[in-house]
Amino acid sequence: MAASMLVQRTAALCGTFKGISVSKAVRPVNSHYGFMLQTACYNPRPLRLNLRGPYIPDKDSIKTPEWQKTARYDKKLFGRFGSASHIDPASLWPSHEELEKIIAEEKQWHPPLEVMLKNIEAKEKEETEKRLAKEKLIAANMAKMPKMIEDWRREKRETKRKLKEEKAKKAKLLAEAQERFGYSMDPRSPKFLEMVAEIEKEEKKKKKLLKRRVKEEQVAAPPVAQS
Amino acid sequence: MSFAKKNGGKAFDVLQNLPRITLANLRPEPGAKKAEKRRGRGQHGGNRSGRGHKGERQRGNIPRLGFEGGQTPFYLVIPKYGFNEGHSRRPQYQPLTLKRLQYLIDLGRVDPTQPIDLTQLVNARGVTIQPLKRDYGVQLVDEGSDIFGAKINIEVQRASEGAIAAIERNGGLITTSFYDPISLGILIKPVPFFMRGQPIPRRMLPGEDMVPYYTSAENRGYLADPEEIQQARRALAQKYSYVLPDISKDELYHMLAVRKDVRQIFFGLSPGWVVNMPEKKILKPTDEKLLEYYSS
Repeated sequence: MAASMLVQRTAALCGTFKGISVSKAVRPVNSHYGFMLQTACYNPRPLRLNLRGPYIPDKDSIKTPEWQKTARYDKKLFGRFGSASHIDPASLWPSHEELEKIIAEEKQWHPPLEVMLKNIEAKEKEETEKRLAKEKLIAANMAKMPKMIEDWRREKRETKRKLKEEKAKKAKLLAEAQERFGYSMDPRSPKFLEMVAEIEKEEKKKKKLLKRRVKEEQVAAPPVAQS
Repeated sequence: MSFAKKNGGKAFDVLQNLPRITLANLRPEPGAKKAEKRRGRGQHGGNRSGRGHKGERQRGNIPRLGFEGGQTPFYLVIPKYGFNEGHSRRPQYQPLTLKRLQYLIDLGRVDPTQPIDLTQLVNARGVTIQPLKRDYGVQLVDEGSDIFGAKINIEVQRASEGAIAAIERNGGLITTSFYDPISLGILIKPVPFFMRGQPIPRRMLPGEDMVPYYTSAENRGYLADPEEIQQARRALAQKYSYVLPDISKDELYHMLAVRKDVRQIFFGLSPGWVVNMPEKKILKPTDEKLLEYYSS
């Protein structure tokens, strides 16, 4: 076990006289009032070290309570009475086994500074990577945006136009019906539908004629161009 | 030892020649003593005794505070939100204004010629720290930075930028360091700890969330690089537009440069020592393993 060394040294923190003691530090200060002596002092709580009749419990007796036979209480006795408590000062420090336990605990729960810094760096790196990835994605999508906006606008325009055309057609047909029959009729009635069918037939015939004419012209034109 | 110039003059002479102070010569400051409100006495206090006219109010049957006659009360209408969630796990730092610090120095309760530590502040009863209430130390607040004018070497747990600037402007040094709760309890009450007979423990390092704070030079952390701290000092001087005084040419440079080791709790005492109060002795361990552990 370790042997402790006893070193003589006055306690630096407060005076240990019996009664009130005041620690003072006198220093001269040059202020504009003239040369004044200022003292820094505080009143420490008086340390009532009752060393006259120290109670050191009998370890072997049955009557002493259990908590007075523990190592913790021994340390407190030493702290209160010093060498008068007849306790081996070497027992104040942890034994080798206890020390190993303490070191293992510290290794597990209190990693050294380098490890902590590494962890922090890793976390920060991860965070920045995530953030950058997100921002890249956003930037890429934003770059696509004008085209997507254009497409969408075009679509809307087209649908609008188609609707308009449909409406115009329907209005035309209604007007035709009105002309032919003389009164406005329901577009769902069979007469109207017959009329629509007739008009379609006529249009088809016209188209066919047009096509034939175009073909004839084409046939007539190339031989003329050749010769 | 030269005497102070007598200030006061004629008023002081008059004061000296006045008669002895007795109870008959004293009177409280006007406005200091306010007459008590006595219910049920006299023309104005009597009759209904300030209770109103009939109803629940006079008869003392008002429902509980917050009740709104059956309508869902305000404190239940507002939905819950975790503002205070985990409040008991958050570290707290007792604020210390520069105004109060200057007050303590002026009254002589804190000695500016020695390094100022949390122990000194608590001894001077400048701050009250309760480690059991999740207090992790003291933080320096920059209220009163315009009247602050003391050159000190101070060590706190947190400090605002303005406070750091104010202290360095006056030629002082400030450090922020971390104390885990056990070390803090020992630091603020050293004598009861020494009476326990335990060896001084090693101060633990801050947790991962506080390591960035204490390794950055802007906060003057105790784990930061000294060169970075110099740069930060110059940068702060530029930001707050004051001339950075050169500490190395100061007469108190030796005192100002004193800083604690990372694992040390007290100035002048290493971890592993046992301080014995009744015999005024310090016991140091000699076992190699103990020494290795305590000095790592």
